[in-house]
Amino acid sequence: MRYLAALSLALILTVAAGPRLYAAENDAAILQVSAAENDIAVRFVTDLGDNAIQMLVNDTLDQNQRLDEFRRLLVVGFDIPLISRYVLGRYWRRASPEERNEYLHLFEEFLVRTYAARLGQYGGETLEIKTARTDGDRDVIVRSEIIPSDGPAVRVDWRVRNFDGNYRIIDVVVEGISMIITQRDEFAAVIESSGGRVEGLLAELRSRTQ
Amino acid sequence: MLVNPVRSKGARRRLVPVLLLATGLLVGACAGAPADSAEDGADGIRDPLEPMNRLIFSMNLAADTVVIRPAADLYRTIIPRPGRDAVRSFLRNLESPVILANDILQGELSRAGITTVRFLINSTAGIAGLFDVAAKMGYERHSEDFGQTLGRYGMDEGFFLMLPILGPSSFRDALGLGVDFYFDPLNYWADNTGHEELMVARTVVRGIDARSRTIETLDEIERTSIDFYATVRSLYRQQRNDEIRNGEMPSLPPLPDYTRFSGPDDSESVAAGD
Repeated sequence: MRYLAALSLALILTVAAGPRLYAAENDAAILQVSAAENDIAVRFVTDLGDNAIQMLVNDTLDQNQRLDEFRRLLVVGFDIPLISRYVLGRYWRRASPEERNEYLHLFEEFLVRTYAARLGQYGGETLEIKTARTDGDRDVIVRSEIIPSDGPAVRVDWRVRNFDGNYRIIDVVVEGISMIITQRDEFAAVIESSGGRVEGLLAELRSRTQ
Repeated sequence: MLVNPVRSKGARRRLVPVLLLATGLLVGACAGAPADSAEDGADGIRDPLEPMNRLIFSMNLAADTVVIRPAADLYRTIIPRPGRDAVRSFLRNLESPVILANDILQGELSRAGITTVRFLINSTAGIAGLFDVAAKMGYERHSEDFGQTLGRYGMDEGFFLMLPILGPSSFRDALGLGVDFYFDPLNYWADNTGHEELMVARTVVRGIDARSRTIETLDEIERTSIDFYATVRSLYRQQRNDEIRNGEMPSLPPLPDYTRFSGPDDSESVAAGD
């Protein structure tokens, strides 16, 4: 199970990709054709990967600058609100408005802390796009491989959604293991073991993001 | 050839406890909580034996801390990478009959061919399997087991099961583990010649080798998990489903398009994602 290593790298590769999130393509009105849409999604992931690697090998950034960049780009590259809400599952409805607010904040912080710990561990991996297919109305699943300098390639599927021309990653699936399903399963277990109270999860997240 | 092995007394003796265990667990599960109700865990995880599973999991972790991980660490320290790869190749080559049997049972004839060719090449040119030369020739390894075969025929995974030492499993996969035992001609050979200890040794070495390759990954998962057991359970289920699909694109869960950047107050307008 190289799941976490690959997922961390995948997240880092994409969110580190820089601020140019497809402004040019967004303006173009070529999104009706699904083949074209696949191409855009592929280019989205490809460029993210390229830029991420550039950022990771950029020696002029210190660890803190990389962390800041990571946090900023996580928020613009992924649809964190949508992911957050999916991950909380049916407990979203049970949460009070205050709990929801705090959860959204804590989950984002939790993601940053979880994955940023690996920022300094780039070992020359590259991202290679394989295929893409549409999934439903507005999602494109881009299949890629992360190729380490030694050892076998890791299969990574990116679920990219088109929000009226704004592309955002909504799931990363590493060797068949979905980031959002894994997180949702775990959070559900945490809430269940505290008697179905969302507060139980919030307490855990609080203690892990301090 | 492999599907119809000679039944030895020893093999039959062992089938009985396996079946008893399986049916006992099944009965226990049916008597337990209703499976897959709306109040189930996310994405329909069925774990009616959760208290027992969690207990076994913590025992496994203790055994890992005290014995398995140190052994894996030592193994990794004293045997260089090429040596460990040879060990793994050798053991994997011995698994070929089981993989082949399941390839055939799944009707995957081209994969059955690859498994056969791999076995022939690696057993000869690969010096009794020590070197995976077949992979270098383009015959990549794949794994199959009877749990996957049952999955391919539509059998549900059943309830989650944490096995002592062996780790995460399910009703279906534990059943498959028992069946795979009977697909392995080496087990009959060992049984007939009184060399069961070699089979035990094989299992131990395979376990230590596997563990030595996941030390950092498991550490990382444990470090970043809030509920390590729940994470392992989720990873296991997803990994198995991926194996059953043979790596085909996953069918991802429907993801409702909640309003982007929705605030905390829009809850009733959109159904939650379950």
